[in-house]
Amino acid sequence: MSPGALLETAALMGLFVLAGGAYGGLYSMGRLRARPHWVRAGQACWLLAFAIAVLIALRSPLDLGWKLLILASAMVYAVIPPVTWRYLQRLHAHEETQQ
Amino acid sequence: MSTAAQPLYRSQRLALRYFTAAIALFGVMIAFGLLSAAYYLFPSMLFNVFNFNTSKIMHIDILVIWLLMGFLGAVYWYLPKELGREVAGIRAAEITFWVFCLAIALVAATFLFVQYGSANEFTLWFINQGRKYVEAPRWAAIGIVAILLVFSWNVVGTCVKAHKMTGIMWVMVLDLIPLVVVYLDAFPADTNMSTDLYWWWWLVHMWVESTWEVLIGCIMALVLMDVMGTSRRIVEAWLYIEVMLVLGAGILGLGHHYFWIGTPQYWLAIGGFFSALEPLPLLGMVVHAVYDAGMHRLRTSNQPAFYWITAEAFGNFIGAGIWGFMMTLPQINLFSHGTQWTVSHGHFAFYGAYVCGVIAVLYVAKQRVTGVPLLAGHTWRWGFGLLNLGMVGMVMALLLAGMAQAFYGRAIGGSTLMAFTTASENLWFKSGMYARMLFGVIFAAGYVALVYDLLRAPRSAALPAAQPQPA
Ligand code: HEM
Ligand code: HEM
Repeated sequence: MSPGALLETAALMGLFVLAGGAYGGLYSMGRLRARPHWVRAGQACWLLAFAIAVLIALRSPLDLGWKLLILASAMVYAVIPPVTWRYLQRLHAHEETQQ
Repeated sequence: MSTAAQPLYRSQRLALRYFTAAIALFGVMIAFGLLSAAYYLFPSMLFNVFNFNTSKIMHIDILVIWLLMGFLGAVYWYLPKELGREVAGIRAAEITFWVFCLAIALVAATFLFVQYGSANEFTLWFINQGRKYVEAPRWAAIGIVAILLVFSWNVVGTCVKAHKMTGIMWVMVLDLIPLVVVYLDAFPADTNMSTDLYWWWWLVHMWVESTWEVLIGCIMALVLMDVMGTSRRIVEAWLYIEVMLVLGAGILGLGHHYFWIGTPQYWLAIGGFFSALEPLPLLGMVVHAVYDAGMHRLRTSNQPAFYWITAEAFGNFIGAGIWGFMMTLPQINLFSHGTQWTVSHGHFAFYGAYVCGVIAVLYVAKQRVTGVPLLAGHTWRWGFGLLNLGMVGMVMALLLAGMAQAFYGRAIGGSTLMAFTTASENLWFKSGMYARMLFGVIFAAGYVALVYDLLRAPRSAALPAAQPQPA
């Protein structure tokens, strides 16, 4: 790996997870406060995370297996916030009906 | 939250002693952190009197010990509340606390005044085992096992005597097994360095990325019920999922420490694969934190604890998830390994995952002891702000310094001694070391503010409109 590619790849990997986290944070804050544009901003962050994953796949000297793993985790990132949110809501709703 | 009207259980008074010891050791740890950082600015400082390596041993061993004390304190605090009775074997627990303190004092004195010995059995038994994070001599390691066994007996015995078992207690009891057993595997006298490191990583990794994660998960579940009034069903359901996911990726994530210690090549694939999955459950935790924070923010009766819990969820994601992921694939780690880049991640992850959680519990205890119905005000914000600013500044400085080392010393210079020296003279690296010191001082100021706030009597404030139901 060339010196430049090392820093670039590591930075992209960090930004990838950061964008994923921003998606999770904004998505859930938007749902919480019923602000659809926050949810959309969150989804834009996921798009950014996906774009970074594609960039890593195209530009970095990582082995193919790692590139596929990063692309696959970008897909998983997409579903974690909505699935978690729905699960939490269902849990809370169930709890309230029990009380 | 219940107030001081009810007397404390004996085990809660023991917990307060653990908290006091933990917070005092936190201060000592910071002092040795600052001293260790000073060697980077003045390399010949205290030459042959008190060297960097001993200062760093004090810093990181005390880190492990004060966090462990914080965890034990938190469990002793919540056990009677969770199970509705005094802790079984409380007398033994009280005695072990003092034995623990005495052992720490003896080991610290040995590190400070004897420092090192010849390469023989005597040194292993009485001076230093030479294993990073757990350098304490073998007699003290056996002492830790004894303390953990008494602790395990307290937990299991209380469940048995109370004839009660909650979901959280099941998880905690099962977690006690690796907490004790994994500690034992770290100390065989193996002269092959690869096998020695192989087993030692079991302890360091399995504790910090598995066993401790589960334990802090149980503690946070109890804190969430207490501080935010979250229902038991919800925290327990969440705890099970979290434990499954964290252990699912975390156990074999161990492989990211096996890249370069002489283990078979398949560890490159195993370590890279599983540790790349580790941020996924952490993302779920971020969503959960936002959900809980939003649902309960206006109702919490303990503002500082609430903020520290929230900081824990985000800190864990950023420090462990982002910082860890950046350097977790072997092709990157080949260059970043053993640089300040790793140190940056180590600081952020420990802080985010554990320090914030333990501080939250300290505030829970403060509210109970002082008996105020609402813990709020402004002073706690100083500790919160300065500690977080200090930590974020420190890890950014270390990241830049570490990247400079990886770039100049490894990728360009080819990891020779000359390249290491050149990278250490590099402006990015040197500025990083100065910036780390500056933010370290800010962090230390945050610690002073935290201790001041924990000790000072709180002003009474009006309760918010709706109170969470105590667990
Ligand atoms: C004033 C604050 C602090 C300063 C100045 C400081 C400084 C240092 C220094 C100089 C080292 C040695 C790094 C090396 O080998 O080059 C170190 C190691 C370490 N410190 Fe700190 N530290 C501070 C606070 C903390 C805190 C709060 C934590 C835990 C949350 C922590 C955890 C660690 C760990 C885990 C290591 C070992 C890292 C490794 O070798 O990869 N430190 N620290
Ligand atoms: C609670 C969570 C975590 C804590 C407390 C933690 C702490 C640490 C510490 C202290 C080190 C330095 C060990 C040493 O050499 O002395 C380290 C190394 C490392 N961590 Fe973590 N970590 C956590 C989670 C993660 C996660 C989730 C990942 C991956 C996404 C990760 C990836 C790594 C890697 C690759 C190294 C090896 C660095 C090297 O030696 O080159 N860590 N971790």
